[in-house]
Amino acid sequence: MAGMHMNSDFNLIIERIQIYFTRKSRTEYWLQVVNDKYDETYNFFINVQRKGERVHSIPLHTVEDYNLSYLEKLINKIMKKYQLSITYDGFVGLKWPEKQELIQKRKHLDE
Amino acid sequence: MDYSQEPHGVFFLIDNKSFYASVEATLRGLNPLKEMLVVMSEADNTNGGLILATSPMAKKEFHLKANVSRQRDLPQDPRIIVVPPRMNLYIKRNLQINQIFREFAAECDVWPYSIDESIIDMTHSWHLFGNSPREVARIIQKTVCQRLGLYTTVGIGDNPVQAKIALDIYAKHDPELMGEIHYETVPEKIWTIPNMTDVWSIAKRTEKRLNSLGIHSIYELSQSNPFYLKEKLGLIGEQIFAIAWGIDRTNLEDNIAPKSHSIGNSQVLPRDYYNKMEIETVIKEMGQQVASRLRHHHKQAGCIYLSVRYSYAATVEGERGGFSVASNLTHTDSDSEISKQLLHMFEGSWQGQPVRNLAVYSSKLVNKQAQQLNFFKPVVSQCKSEDCLAIVDQIRDRYGFKSIVYANSLQKGGTAINRSSLVGGHNGGNAYE
Repeated sequence: MAGMHMNSDFNLIIERIQIYFTRKSRTEYWLQVVNDKYDETYNFFINVQRKGERVHSIPLHTVEDYNLSYLEKLINKIMKKYQLSITYDGFVGLKWPEKQELIQKRKHLDE
Repeated sequence: MDYSQEPHGVFFLIDNKSFYASVEATLRGLNPLKEMLVVMSEADNTNGGLILATSPMAKKEFHLKANVSRQRDLPQDPRIIVVPPRMNLYIKRNLQINQIFREFAAECDVWPYSIDESIIDMTHSWHLFGNSPREVARIIQKTVCQRLGLYTTVGIGDNPVQAKIALDIYAKHDPELMGEIHYETVPEKIWTIPNMTDVWSIAKRTEKRLNSLGIHSIYELSQSNPFYLKEKLGLIGEQIFAIAWGIDRTNLEDNIAPKSHSIGNSQVLPRDYYNKMEIETVIKEMGQQVASRLRHHHKQAGCIYLSVRYSYAATVEGERGGFSVASNLTHTDSDSEISKQLLHMFEGSWQGQPVRNLAVYSSKLVNKQAQQLNFFKPVVSQCKSEDCLAIVDQIRDRYGFKSIVYANSLQKGGTAINRSSLVGGHNGGNAYE
């Protein structure tokens, strides 16, 4: 069952990254993963910013399986396909269960 | 003024600070009050982008209006985060918030007023939660913030209108995000409001009419003669006079039956439409949509109304900017009959102007009891076409609007397919959840 979840979450995210990751020049693309404590979900966004312009933050998917080792596997899978940099929010103090590294070193200014 | 006969209660009017923007901020793990976030619809018919909501910081920094600013008014600043709207999500949050309110008052005392405002009649329950209404309001604010991360502003009053004015005028600028008006404080809190249009239910038109009567402030309004106001402005004159005195005799539990219902839709087209075919395609689609909604409510319309607005550029000064026509018809809920009538009305009034806005409304609704057969058409075909529509509705209920569409929606200019996922005219966000 978890495997099926993984595939559909993975496919949806990849499908949507493909739409928005258009590799335009002078444009930065990065993923954002948020630990949403209110809904107990992980929210995925892609952020697109042309140099000096506004950031566009587009929702990709909401992962309902609120479980860090699941998230770690999912992200590893995504990273194999796209090496976009990822920023994490809401993960202060938490470690990746497998890698045993801190997910997010310090709280961001606007959190 | 003797207020002793007026209804006295404890009413809270609670609204969410920059609701859409705050919801989006919390989902991104950001603090709604610190972040510069703008919810912007970039659908084709917004002419580049329409700002639906702005976080408090962005409002302050870039002097943006509360709503309906254009993309072009927003500076290209790398600090701004632009996000697309997700209406379904905001509806979900609104339901969650009202659920929290129901922990503080009986279910029948919580009245959602808009997508981000609710009226709560706390008369019977406030003393269960604290020593003063203000203290209870604080607890509600904290609960919402803890559970959903959203900041709420609270207006407190002895009746709903006092709570509403306290919210609009005082709570929004109060460090605790609270405002209070009671009968005793009406002179200092309501009469001193500098702009009449800041008061709920007084807008520019009403202000102009009041000005022409020599009334230029809320204080002057409160000191004028209510009979004179009623004579000059009608019922609304009496009503705003009562508001100026902080009087509101509404009983929220009264069930107000509207005199008549109507069902309709309107839209702004993605560009100016010049071609008759294209305009007719959209009118047909709208007719079908309205008919389908009628069937959904088991109603039939006896009158149909079409409004066409020309493009801004084509509107010559002094000339009318569009036309509206209404026409009676035998009560019906059929796609083809409503569309046929609409096209007939359109042809009768349109003279080649480029079109930008369209609206279709149906009224004189009756409950559908049975199918009225037409004497001049074969019975079998009439029954078949009725069954056919019922099947189309069933398919759409189960698989969504897009699963079965008229071929005309695929023609150039059709908007139905693109609009089918909208909620309140904006991206619902279903595709992403």
